[in-house]
Amino acid sequence: MMDIFAGLGHGFSIAATPLNLLFCLVGAVCGTLIGVLPGLGPVATISLLLPATYALDPIGAIIMLAGIYYGAQYGGSTTAILVNIPGESTSVVTAIDGYKMAQQGRAGEALAIAAIGSFIAGCFGTVVIALLGPPLALMTQKFASPDYFSLMVLGLVSAVVLANGSAFRAVAMIFLGLLLGMVGMDINTGEARMTFGLIELSDGINFVALVMGLFGVAEVISNLENVSTRIVNHSKINSIWPSFKVLRGAWGAVTRGTLLGTLFGILPGGGATIASFSSYALEKRVSKTPERFGNGAIEGVAGPESANNAAAQTSFVPLLTMGIPTSATMALLVGALTLHGIAPGPTIISRQPDLFWGLIASMFLGNAMLVIINLPMIGIWVRLLNVPYRILYLVILVVCAIGVFSVNNSSFDIYMTVGFTALGYILRKLDAEPAPLLMGFVLGPMVEENFRRSLITSHGDPMVFLQRPISLTLLLLSAALLISIVMPSISKRRGEVFQE
Amino acid sequence: MKSIAQRGNSDFYSGLLLVVVAVVALLYIRTLTIGTVLDMGPGYFPLGLALILLGMGLVMIVKGVTTEGVSVGRLHLRPLFFVLLSFVAFGLLVERAGLMIAILVQVGLSHFASRETTWLASAITGVLLAIASSVVFVWLLKIPVSVLP
Repeated sequence: MMDIFAGLGHGFSIAATPLNLLFCLVGAVCGTLIGVLPGLGPVATISLLLPATYALDPIGAIIMLAGIYYGAQYGGSTTAILVNIPGESTSVVTAIDGYKMAQQGRAGEALAIAAIGSFIAGCFGTVVIALLGPPLALMTQKFASPDYFSLMVLGLVSAVVLANGSAFRAVAMIFLGLLLGMVGMDINTGEARMTFGLIELSDGINFVALVMGLFGVAEVISNLENVSTRIVNHSKINSIWPSFKVLRGAWGAVTRGTLLGTLFGILPGGGATIASFSSYALEKRVSKTPERFGNGAIEGVAGPESANNAAAQTSFVPLLTMGIPTSATMALLVGALTLHGIAPGPTIISRQPDLFWGLIASMFLGNAMLVIINLPMIGIWVRLLNVPYRILYLVILVVCAIGVFSVNNSSFDIYMTVGFTALGYILRKLDAEPAPLLMGFVLGPMVEENFRRSLITSHGDPMVFLQRPISLTLLLLSAALLISIVMPSISKRRGEVFQE
Repeated sequence: MKSIAQRGNSDFYSGLLLVVVAVVALLYIRTLTIGTVLDMGPGYFPLGLALILLGMGLVMIVKGVTTEGVSVGRLHLRPLFFVLLSFVAFGLLVERAGLMIAILVQVGLSHFASRETTWLASAITGVLLAIASSVVFVWLLKIPVSVLP
């Protein structure tokens, strides 16, 4: 216990330096911004800003990128409540009751509860990272390569759970990603693989070009295909200070949402979106007056908004303790860490205590900043909705192009982005999500390395994955998760969740 | 709307995409040392992946041919074409003609990607972007690229 206080104290001494405070603020502001703007998600934004963080020191870069992620959870609720357009997928359910409240002239109340719930949940989730991180990392350090291999299998299976649509197709996307991850030098022999004789590919496919194409630019193109809807009117905001009565009605939902979100964030296949949907369903079930839901029930805002923030924080647990990303955003952060020369894994806490504790401390500071950014300054963000997409997309494209170019100062990466944009566009048209592909790409080299190492130590016996208890448990978990997706009753519910 | 509505089974085309990727990969993997389970060469793991991908692709093709699935979404070639073209132009110009011209050409080309753009707004956005990017990226972040030709 003392270690945690010492760690946190150390963390605050790092996060509170003027420069890191600035990075935290920039991340929080950017997160709010993209949370408010529909059609620009955290995955696209983080990939957009990834090259810009290249010049920063790793701690500042991660603090900023993390701020974008949890900041987006705050911003997403603003537009959901005020104009019935969820800025993020995690705020879809917030719009149901939040917008009703706004129509009834209770927008301020809804916004305040969303921000307060998010703050409480964000801080609680951060405490959980600090508590769970060190022991989990210690446990993972005992892992041998077969255990690692199975852990990555579990990580990859969780990507299938998160994907919308056919599970078979999501699995195929993972294998496509794994194969793309093989491009470049072979770790053991140094031989060039699948580079087609291009020197530019000898270090592997540029991560930024891949992400920017698949998510950033391809998303812009999909947005351009849809005729834009201009938002003319939005609800007026009354006082943002909620009454005692409202607070009393919401605190139960905030508590339940926080606990639910915390759990969902840590679990593979969980994540912020599913957490918010589950919280809404839970609130409706435990309520004595479920008929109020859909007509402006404060619990319908408080629960999901707390749940998505808690999950956004705790999804850092698997990343920081085991090096396993559980979502596309976390896969991006793995890429960011690697770009900065930090190998994600259980050694982060012991070898990079500055990064781990600094990041945790910055999350407390960032959540506090976000309450201020989102409540008193709400008017500024709402006005942003008036920036037409026909101007915004030009800016996004230029920033994308310069960003990709600046990583290696090479035009080749721009052409790679063109290729991956085309791929991303085709995949979208084929209803195949690119997120599992990204997970496969990021984990590919690690999967191969641990697979090869396991079989060398076992003298070629593939049973090694089933003989070690840790590895066996992880594989059984993966199998259970995979079966649960394929089972018709559960997959039907999963479809309903995504359909709403 | 100038778009090509292609009706077809999305399972079939997804499968086709996977098979093409797998075959291209396999052709290349042929040149690598495969090795054995005990002594895996650089080609061992990629070979396994490519074969699985090939298998999954074939399953999807069969499924697409035999069952009536969802058809492929509408293709709008206009945004795709102009956005990609604008990126190629940026890549070609940035080292030869400098950042400013590369940005102006990129904005000029991607202007056509949307039907809602107006020339005045795009021109102002382009000029502002060219100036702002030169200041931020070349002057502050010191990307080694010249601003003007």
